[in-house]
Amino acid sequence: MALLVHEPALGQKSASAVSGKAEALKEGESLFRSNCSPCHGLNAHGGGRGPDLTAGRWTHGSTDAEIFRTITQGVPGTEMPANGFEDSETWAIVAYLRSLQPPNHAVVAGDPGKGQQLFATSGGCLRCHMVNGNGGRLGPDLSRVGASRSVAYLTDSIRDPDKDLSTGMLDPNNHYGLPLVYDTVTVTRENGEMITGVEKNEDTFSIQLMTTNQELRFFLKKDLKDVAHERKSLMPAYSEDMLSKTELQNLIAYLIRLRGAASRNPKEAQ
Amino acid sequence: MKRALFVVVLLSAVLGDSQVTYQRLLSADRDPKNWLTYSGRYSGWRYSTLNQITVANASHLAMQWAFQVGDLGQFETTPIVADGVLYGTGQSDRAFAIDARTGRPIWRYQRNLPDKLQPCCGMVNRGLAILGDRLFMATLDAHVIALDTRTGNLLWDVIAADYHKAYTFTVAPLALNNEIVVGVSGGEYGVRGFIDAYDAATGRRLWRFDTVPGPGEPGHDTWAGESWKVGGAPAWITGTYDPELNLLYWPTGNPAPSNYGGQRGGDNLYSNSMLALDPGTGELKWYFQFTPHDLYDYDATQIPVLIDADWEGRPRKLLVQANRNGFYYVLDRTDGKFLSAKAFGTVTWATGIDKDGKPIVNTSLKSSPEGTRVCPGALGLTNWYSPSYSPDTGLLYVATSNECDNFTSAPQPYRAGHDFLGSVYVPDPVERPTGALKALDAQTGAEKWSFPYFSNPNGGVLSTAGGVVFAGDSDGNFIVLDAKTGRDLWHVQLGAAIYSAAITYEVDGKQYVAIPAGSALLVFALQ
Repeated sequence: MALLVHEPALGQKSASAVSGKAEALKEGESLFRSNCSPCHGLNAHGGGRGPDLTAGRWTHGSTDAEIFRTITQGVPGTEMPANGFEDSETWAIVAYLRSLQPPNHAVVAGDPGKGQQLFATSGGCLRCHMVNGNGGRLGPDLSRVGASRSVAYLTDSIRDPDKDLSTGMLDPNNHYGLPLVYDTVTVTRENGEMITGVEKNEDTFSIQLMTTNQELRFFLKKDLKDVAHERKSLMPAYSEDMLSKTELQNLIAYLIRLRGAASRNPKEAQ
Repeated sequence: MKRALFVVVLLSAVLGDSQVTYQRLLSADRDPKNWLTYSGRYSGWRYSTLNQITVANASHLAMQWAFQVGDLGQFETTPIVADGVLYGTGQSDRAFAIDARTGRPIWRYQRNLPDKLQPCCGMVNRGLAILGDRLFMATLDAHVIALDTRTGNLLWDVIAADYHKAYTFTVAPLALNNEIVVGVSGGEYGVRGFIDAYDAATGRRLWRFDTVPGPGEPGHDTWAGESWKVGGAPAWITGTYDPELNLLYWPTGNPAPSNYGGQRGGDNLYSNSMLALDPGTGELKWYFQFTPHDLYDYDATQIPVLIDADWEGRPRKLLVQANRNGFYYVLDRTDGKFLSAKAFGTVTWATGIDKDGKPIVNTSLKSSPEGTRVCPGALGLTNWYSPSYSPDTGLLYVATSNECDNFTSAPQPYRAGHDFLGSVYVPDPVERPTGALKALDAQTGAEKWSFPYFSNPNGGVLSTAGGVVFAGDSDGNFIVLDAKTGRDLWHVQLGAAIYSAAITYEVDGKQYVAIPAGSALLVFALQ
């Protein structure tokens, strides 16, 4: 019985078969720009939605065949969709991505153990962020942030959380199904009460927030005097005064190792 | 043999009244109980004289029935309603006939599509045309087909173009006198665009107008080298028709590749143009190009709205269009003469339109591989979604988007059946895109009111003699506004983005309004 999933014929073809050909690299780059760059960035260095593909870290398999499979089948449970390229096109993309690889994979300096401790204690990160089921709810769940974000992106997110708040393919037409997340909103009720929170959803007539107390609050706009969007994150910017360079390195060394262990290794129910 | 003949005669007698003749299509404006063409009438107004639902009672609207198509993706149909039957299309070239009063299906049709199809923007279809006892559909695999109104049975099926090269149809056909007109999609894949007419009885192709002129044809010299062969200029929205002038107005889309002009020097006729064709022959009578040598995907595929009005003191036959490039155009539809243009939102690609109708292009914006911020963005200040013109208010209602994009531009080799964009665009990361339903003075384009949408829209507009405007936003709200003021009279959350415009019809003395959202067609009437 034939499998319905598309498995590349291993050994028959690979990126190495086309990687030396300038034409294939050009095609791969062109396809990448048209199809992949909205999420992974124009030069594959990562965007607001897709990971850096130049760092030599491949969460879903690092062989040519595995990258081929990731492109053609997508990654269930993530925003990475299946793609309907022809095989030759997929190989061209793989070859292009291979051409971007640094000869030696960049090593993230720092002590992940110290980073984890900082995350849970003095850094205060766990108050708002959840990792593998523990932590707060106001900010994004970081259980697999290392699989989906580059070191540069994580550094920016800590030092200057407002910077990348809205980059990437922010498409309210739902072509990409991306909600507006982590935008700070303050609503003012008719009685003058002001409530600030993270926007969970909004449309022409209503708005849904998670307040700084991590409570969900819903409002009809007709009942509000004002809805003020601030294009900034509620997350504090961790300057060097608050977080030294070494501490930042430790923190990133921890974060970059978060690859969604809980979701990939479910436990037997007791 | 005799028996077969008898059956045929009997059927004809029974259904004689329900034939949708060309005469009925011509007088659709005086037949508001039915919705017989894509825009409701040949002039493209998407306006109905039904007036049961008014400013005073719109808040009493309630759902009457829903019909589930059973597929995901954008539901873009405009249904046809004829004599109590509603005919629509769904995603992936489904079609259906429904009892328009109860929502109960009569038949369903599902086209058996090939696996490798290349529609740019979803497996969508915008609707059917009706003529006689036949429905006509243009399919994603680039065929034109005829279905029996009573059974959904396939009557004829003709191949218009090769889907392997990414020729597709998403358009609702337009039925004229014994002929069915369609325009092709595929501007993102380097097709050579065309508009076709088919014999309604047999499916024989009557004529084809190539929207990119070939060697020896006028306009061919507006394409550098061989670029014309893959020049795009698709024609993917339903045109309008003036029976008195016997002119068919059909707009065209972007040149290919859409975001890189280096491979296609010249004005690139007839991309982003309004074409006036003789419907009998397909001969081009006049054209007007809105955006020559486009770099920003400004298809002119917005409904051409035909209005007769006094213009500078004398009656004139006008064609107005709120164009994706951000300008509201008024043309004389007898000869295509440019009369006026006015920006109806934020526009940076051009500083204005000169006296001849040519854009004064902002030369400080240089396309680059890294990206250039341009307004409107690639989705346009408006897009394919239908506007509505109300003769009662003299206003044209149009859904608008205020998105600006960073356009990146790079050369791209053409490969048959593959995307051909010349790189990509990314929404401006600084300003979150929003939208608005705007009411424009139909003659001047001046804004009379604006109703803000939280997100940029994909849904069109319907206006009626009840003094109301029906609209839908991308966040799933179906909204009824006061046509004069834009005041919100009633709205309801339908649970999925609205990708079409409402229609209205009447059965047994009751006015219904139908709107597609998600996978469902939802129908409302007064409680």
